[in-house]
Amino acid sequence: MEKENKVLPYLMMLPSILLMSLVVIYPIIMGVITSFQQQESGGYGFENYRYFFENDYHTTGIWYTLKIVVITVVAAIAISYLLAIFLRFSNTPISRLMGKLYILPRFIPALVAVNGMITVIRDSGLINRISQVFGYNLHLNMMYDEKGIILMNLWFNIPFATMMISAALSAINDSEVEAMRDVSASKTMIFTNLILPLTYRDVFVAATFIFMSNISSFTTPYLMGATYPKMMGVTLFDLYNNFHYGRAAALSVIMFLFSSVAASIYIYINMRKDKWEVGR
Amino acid sequence: MTKLAKKLIAVGLLGGLMITTFTGCSSSSSSDSKTVTIWAQGSDNTKMQLEAQAERFNEIQDEYEAKVEFIITGTGTQGVNERVLAAYKAGQTDTMYDLIEIDDGKISGLLAQDAEDLFLEIDKSQLSNHINCRYEPSDSAEYMVPYRGTTVLLAYNSNTVPNPPSTMDELYQWIKDNPGRFAYNPPNSGGAGASFVVATVYNQMEESALTSSDESNKQYWDAGFEILADLHPYMYQSSGKVVYPNKNQGTMDILASREIDMTPVWADMFISQQGLGTMPSEMKVTQIDPPLTGNLVGFSIPSIGSNSEGALAFINYMLSAEAQNIALESMAALPVIDFGLLDPEAIKSIETLDVKEFRNSSLGTLQTELYDKWDMDIAPLN
Repeated sequence: MEKENKVLPYLMMLPSILLMSLVVIYPIIMGVITSFQQQESGGYGFENYRYFFENDYHTTGIWYTLKIVVITVVAAIAISYLLAIFLRFSNTPISRLMGKLYILPRFIPALVAVNGMITVIRDSGLINRISQVFGYNLHLNMMYDEKGIILMNLWFNIPFATMMISAALSAINDSEVEAMRDVSASKTMIFTNLILPLTYRDVFVAATFIFMSNISSFTTPYLMGATYPKMMGVTLFDLYNNFHYGRAAALSVIMFLFSSVAASIYIYINMRKDKWEVGR
Repeated sequence: MTKLAKKLIAVGLLGGLMITTFTGCSSSSSSDSKTVTIWAQGSDNTKMQLEAQAERFNEIQDEYEAKVEFIITGTGTQGVNERVLAAYKAGQTDTMYDLIEIDDGKISGLLAQDAEDLFLEIDKSQLSNHINCRYEPSDSAEYMVPYRGTTVLLAYNSNTVPNPPSTMDELYQWIKDNPGRFAYNPPNSGGAGASFVVATVYNQMEESALTSSDESNKQYWDAGFEILADLHPYMYQSSGKVVYPNKNQGTMDILASREIDMTPVWADMFISQQGLGTMPSEMKVTQIDPPLTGNLVGFSIPSIGSNSEGALAFINYMLSAEAQNIALESMAALPVIDFGLLDPEAIKSIETLDVKEFRNSSLGTLQTELYDKWDMDIAPLN
């Protein structure tokens, strides 16, 4: 057997590490430094951070962002899990059609999808017009509100989460399910004792990805959100455009910290091995 | 070991090659002395106009080749001004930012970012067509040559509002008499709403304050903000809450869908969209007294550009009667030269707009503070 070259793998990784350092790691370090820099005096301190936590306008915005993101994650995962199970274990024309259709939103550009959603759900939108045909004047009250943002987030994230969970479910053999049925296990038992242990890891991975991509979202809340409170991504845009670079950097770091919490859950879940998995 | 050394050298060379390729890109493309790269941002109508201008400029002379780089706002990318500032701060000296289109209100804010020599001073005696230019920016005039004016007007639904208000006070009264039927966009998200806010605040002050960046003027802002706070409950509502839709287009959309009857709009956006048919024909525009404010838009030459002669030649072209006609026809831009020099047919399109009186606002660095104050004081009201 040829001796394993210990240096070669590192050499092969070198170009991507160099590139990462240049376009990701270096800007992160610079961002953190800028966040401690005071714009007026040029000195260093926590002033930019204090600004966000001593100002009701911004604390409300941060809580508002977290609320929307948490609701998005929980709802997207719940719906996607059910959808993925349905697609995996049902074999009807409807499930086959849905299996092809659910992926469609991923091919529609974000801006187009947001504008499309707006024309449907706004108070003078398609749904309102249809209701007028039947003599009602239905106002969904979803535009410029967190409900609209969450609906739009679900549109973007359900296909993604369903795809990830479906991949995990496809690893379960029909024979394993049949084996449990043979010993007269109920559907709940099949779920808790077979499906859940085999898929929970992918569910968490999907959840962390949804969390991280939504905490910094911009287009949806900018076009569909209320004037106040604002999601963090929109506030960041405003701060940057008005030359408050130190504060913008501090808010970026705050967003980064929230994402890091999600990322550490991701890493923990991935590293951890269940008892039955040891040696697998 | 020698094998390993060879590999290391190879990778090192590869890395070096990558770096030189990256830097090579930026310098080789800007060293072409003929090309003048013009940067601008905004809505599509501005893009069409500038591209038409560049094409014509390239037809009538051979010395320079104009190229337009355009950034559509609201797509998440950073604007031109911030990019130029970033390049300047990064110590670049030979960039493709030869010429940028800029609002007169923006310049002093950029210079205040510890970037006093961000722009070249423009010697206007070198511009043969400048003699016809009727407007001068009130602030930082040495760094900018205006080529068009834009103004904000009051758009209204002529079916539901047969007699639109003619003064600002009548407008305030109309808003209170018709709750939920008026909207303006947050000043940070677009100039139409900003103009309504600036006019409301500065109508309560000396007229000269409107073109001053004097910090002491801030103490007189409160009267105007009281009016804005007073109007707040009568604004457009959705989900039972007052909403100020983002972007100039945000309020135009709800006017077009008849959710509101009145909103401030940019004259050029309104005309373009009525031409396209996305703004229904019963929507009309009018100017009120004292007028909603406008801006001068012009060109500045970043000191880090690589073709200042070409930039000057393009500015001079933009002040010619021909270029002014193109701007007028393609985006209903207000000309900065004598109307007598222009195509009388084209003038008609803006005469109906009643924008003869052009009220320029230029608050410099105060503008940002005013918008921030609106975010803090007006947006969170319930």
